[in-house]
Amino acid sequence: MLRKLPSLFNNILSVNQVRQNARPLFISATNEAARKGTREKARKKKVKVEIKKVGFIPHNLRKKVRVTVNKHQDDSWKQIPQDDVYIQKYYQYRTFTVEDAIKCHQETHHPTMYNVPNAPILAEIEINMQGEKITRFVDNFHRMAPINYKFNHGEERTVLAFAKGQEYIDIAKKAGATLAGDGGLVKSIQNGDLSFNDFQFIVAHSNILHEIMPIRGLLKRRFPNPKNGTLGTDLEEMVQKFLNGITYSVKKDENQQNFANLTAQFGTLDMDVKHLEDNLASLLQDINKMRPKREGKFITRVYINSPPSSEKLKINPFVYVPEEQTFAKKKTSAKVAEEEDEDEATAAEDEEEVKEKKEAVN
Amino acid sequence: MLRSIFKSGINSISTHLLTSNNAVTQQVRTTFILRRKYPLELHKKNQKPRKLRGKHFNYVLVEDTNRTVKPDIEVVLKQFIHGVGKKGEIVKVRPNFAYNELLLTDKAAYATPENIEKYKLKEGEESQEEKYSSPYAQRTVNMLQNRVFAIVMNKEQPWVIEPWHVRASLRKCGYHILSDDAIELPQEKITGPDLQKQNKEFIVTVTINKMEKAKVRCRIHHWSTNPSDRLPYVYEHWLQDTEPLFPSEQKSNESSS
Repeated sequence: MLRKLPSLFNNILSVNQVRQNARPLFISATNEAARKGTREKARKKKVKVEIKKVGFIPHNLRKKVRVTVNKHQDDSWKQIPQDDVYIQKYYQYRTFTVEDAIKCHQETHHPTMYNVPNAPILAEIEINMQGEKITRFVDNFHRMAPINYKFNHGEERTVLAFAKGQEYIDIAKKAGATLAGDGGLVKSIQNGDLSFNDFQFIVAHSNILHEIMPIRGLLKRRFPNPKNGTLGTDLEEMVQKFLNGITYSVKKDENQQNFANLTAQFGTLDMDVKHLEDNLASLLQDINKMRPKREGKFITRVYINSPPSSEKLKINPFVYVPEEQTFAKKKTSAKVAEEEDEDEATAAEDEEEVKEKKEAVN
Repeated sequence: MLRSIFKSGINSISTHLLTSNNAVTQQVRTTFILRRKYPLELHKKNQKPRKLRGKHFNYVLVEDTNRTVKPDIEVVLKQFIHGVGKKGEIVKVRPNFAYNELLLTDKAAYATPENIEKYKLKEGEESQEEKYSSPYAQRTVNMLQNRVFAIVMNKEQPWVIEPWHVRASLRKCGYHILSDDAIELPQEKITGPDLQKQNKEFIVTVTINKMEKAKVRCRIHHWSTNPSDRLPYVYEHWLQDTEPLFPSEQKSNESSS
């Protein structure tokens, strides 16, 4: 009787029946992925390549191959002159002492020749910006180098000084601060009467520190702190530093990242030679503070120039700044020798212990 | 039997064919240093090494000894040679130059300890042959005499030309004179500013190593600090003919040189 049911019923089949009636094919998730080794190879190939943003190059310059010369010039292969009259191009660049270089510039700028006896003296300093790793470089920096013998740098500098006590305020004013004051000054800043943006540098004596705290949020980066040299006890020295110091900025070369070049004025030709030498030494030592912890030179070459003369007189900067740095070497347990000091031996032993612990963990 | 005749026949012919005149066989010193691209599979001790496959014969060139630059060699000079060195001096030069110019022409010998001892300068010899102060002095003299130097003096301030003016002007051009004693100005003083003397030439004698003398042509150029007062620019002024500052002196100088 069931068989004689009309075919309609047969046609209206439930899902289950469809499933049951349909021939079961073994349909597993077809493994269409490639072999594991092949997949890993493909993954390795996909390593992200950093796309460097190159600026717009006009179409007539695009295909040209640029001749890249290393800006860190090395002339050590050239001979050293033996004669007392010689031609520069065949020999290593002549190295002057700072005194001789300044005297040479004074000769050319003499009233009988160029007649510019008060010309500015510039130091052109070439720096190797290589960082601790070969691919990493020192960041660009902008600093102020303090100097002992002031000269007219032609910049207008405004210094705001905070100090508690009239004598300190007087010292600051005498030193040349544009404005000096105590708690009253703080209040006027808070009120908005006085805008601290008018001043380039803000200096404070440590005795007024807690009174300046309320405006810390306003000042943010410019708030006096001992690291910058803006917070201390010697107000006169601080104010003088910011009024007279040499500002310079070191920027890496676009095409050669490990090369940077800066030109800074450190005096005028009519100043005393010893003062000029001292100023130059201060400038070089300030640059040296940004030195990375690696072998090799940081400051590579220094020239002394004085416009309108186009002469570049090379000097030896390593009289004022160390040429190479020395680091405490890393000692491994295998290299412990009899000659080593006890300190180094104990350090090695510590390292061994650390190694053993690591192995135990593994 | 035929086979044996055949074999011996071939042998006799082949020996005749293969003998040749003793040609001078040069040793060919081409060395290419290679390394394997794919490393060999390791095998256990006392076992046969693994079979070499096609990939094992795939090499990468490390160095072509024909292309590497040969190092400079040291030679001892037997005589004074311009631009190289003095007699008895040990000089490091490029190998081709050493062989072709010095060793073959018997002007120098290889720097072995025996040769260094043999050609070393003895006490008395040095004073004899001292026509030249240094191997490069003659070159400096030639270069100084071939050029014209501009001595830049001020257009407004009064001046008298002194040796240091000449030294400073030459230093700007890349000619370094280490002491003022080496400079000999003309006997008559040259004073100014005098626009009549502009571009006029005078001769300065420069002494190199207190021996060689070079006659340097110097021209006076008046320069003003204020750009608007400056004289008009003359393109390649050294190529243009000018009058001498001291006509009589100049004539004697020209005749002598």
